[in-house]
Amino acid sequence: MKLKHAMIVFKKEVKDLIRDRRTVITSILLPMILIPAINIIMGGSVQNFEKTINENVSVALSQASDTDEIKKFVQEKILSKNPNLVLKEPDDPQKALENEEIRCIIDVESGYREKLEAGVPIKITLLYDESKTKSSTAAEIVTQAVNDFGSDIIRERIAALGLSTDILQPVAIEKSNVAKENQGSNMVLQMMLPLLISMLVSVGGIPAATDLVAGEKERNTFEPLLTTMPDRSSLLIGKYMAVTLFSFVSVAAILAGFAIGYAIDPNSMTMGLDQQVGGFAIEPLAIVLAILITITLGMTFSGIQIALSTFAKSYKEAQTYLSFLMLAAMIPGYATMFLQPSDLSTVMFVLPVMNTISAFKMLLGGNIIYSDLILALGTSIVFVILTLWLASSLFKKEKVLFRS
Amino acid sequence: MIEVRELEKKFGDFTAVDKISFEVSKGEIFGLLGENGAGKTTTLRMLSTMMKPTSGHAVLNGYDTQTEPEKVRTHIGILFGGETGLYDRLTVAENISYFGELNGMSKDAIKDRLRQLAQAFGMEDFMDKRASKLSKGMKQKAAFARSIVHDPEIMLFDEPTSGLDVTAARDVHEFILRCKEKGKTIVFSSHSMSEVEKLCDRIGIIHKGRLVECGGIEELKEKYGNDNLEEIFIRLAGAK
Repeated sequence: MKLKHAMIVFKKEVKDLIRDRRTVITSILLPMILIPAINIIMGGSVQNFEKTINENVSVALSQASDTDEIKKFVQEKILSKNPNLVLKEPDDPQKALENEEIRCIIDVESGYREKLEAGVPIKITLLYDESKTKSSTAAEIVTQAVNDFGSDIIRERIAALGLSTDILQPVAIEKSNVAKENQGSNMVLQMMLPLLISMLVSVGGIPAATDLVAGEKERNTFEPLLTTMPDRSSLLIGKYMAVTLFSFVSVAAILAGFAIGYAIDPNSMTMGLDQQVGGFAIEPLAIVLAILITITLGMTFSGIQIALSTFAKSYKEAQTYLSFLMLAAMIPGYATMFLQPSDLSTVMFVLPVMNTISAFKMLLGGNIIYSDLILALGTSIVFVILTLWLASSLFKKEKVLFRS
Repeated sequence: MIEVRELEKKFGDFTAVDKISFEVSKGEIFGLLGENGAGKTTTLRMLSTMMKPTSGHAVLNGYDTQTEPEKVRTHIGILFGGETGLYDRLTVAENISYFGELNGMSKDAIKDRLRQLAQAFGMEDFMDKRASKLSKGMKQKAAFARSIVHDPEIMLFDEPTSGLDVTAARDVHEFILRCKEKGKTIVFSSHSMSEVEKLCDRIGIIHKGRLVECGGIEELKEKYGNDNLEEIFIRLAGAK
């Protein structure tokens, strides 16, 4: 292998790919536009949805309970606790519930006043539609308001007996959070960022890999290339470097997309989940190790992508193989998505994709174990060597190169 | 200049090229004549070091294809039939320069060569145009120029007129003759009798991987007592 030859191929491939509108649009422009747009729209939708289901919760009394006395009781004792609850007076409450004009019907049993005075439990029935989120949430809100009313009654009764309400709480629980300042506050980042980076690095080079070998074969440019002076290894390394570069270009584009989204609306980072993105205090060595692990993951996948593209007879065949590769990268990503940094085991730092996710989770969790990060980097380097060897073997195999 | 000895290529149990031997002298056009699947492309792939022979040797310009493949490649130019195999997103100049660089030419040498080639093929007006924007004829000229950018002594043509119309095929023929004029040694594969008769000094008839006959066109006509090369071919291919 001669680096000079590999660099000639690399430079040409980068020039070629940059001029490919399809690659530029899908790998660079779309992520930079779509990511902030999706995050802002999703963030806005989540917030709007939460607002809609929690605010202006219209309820009505059942026909049997529709008396001035009960209306006054419900309004003053139950609904006044929550300003979002609004009592409506439809002609037919049942129909109004079906038509979603109201979200819940409250039925208070007759004789409730006497029962309350006698200290006998009264029955309040809620009619709602479990299949509708707005209705089931309204039932929960009304239930909470009724429970609050019940608590008030208990307090009144205990006071009437001359006792302290403290007897209702025999044990008081005090919680103390021992997490460091940035731990726990980056929940969304711990979940999303490692998954996104690992997945994007794994799939970012796919358009380039498809084009650079299978595409060349299909366009009949591959055989003339093989008859030039450089050996196969130099040609392969040049292409491999271009694919690896593009893996990181698409990651950079997506991270830029997040940054643009954050600049427009900081809430977009957490997709409206009302969580704060906390500050970071990560040791520089840990950051360097995590970056190296990510780079080696990108190189590992570039090797696999070039190998599959070499094996494919046509551009379409390569696209099919590489879409499966995307799936293979997604499985470990989603499997570890909800793991907390404290749940990470050493085995996870050995497996491809999972090791990068684990390294980033550890970084964002703040509790750095360097031996695990070094293990992840070591195994990643082994994967790079193995996949490069696989790609190189296929690139030299006549049966594979001239499969058509 | 080209020496092929007992060259054999097997794909599993299938013998694509069966111990063929021939020689091509400097400045000569040697035609490999055969039907589709006869083994012409595999032979050229072995000569251009794209494939390794199962056994036998091929020596080009004194370099063995198996022991010194890189040196062999610097001395050969290759042109395939059908698609021109240009990079659509690169300009004509970039396409040619890329192959020049890969074949070890310096930037200055490439610059000079681009000027020469643009003039020789009448490409001055479209040297900076992307290959995707070119007409078929322009693309063909660019492909010719690219194949000889490093001024190789040996040219390999693999069915270069396959799928081309009459005018384009004529351009290819002229290019091959131009290469001959420049003293290049040429191996040219085809299944067209008229083409072979028009261009080649000597031919090798290849059938099912075996070289069933080899010699000058007139020599073969005399040997088989027939003026029609096609009939000689049918006779040889059918008999073996």
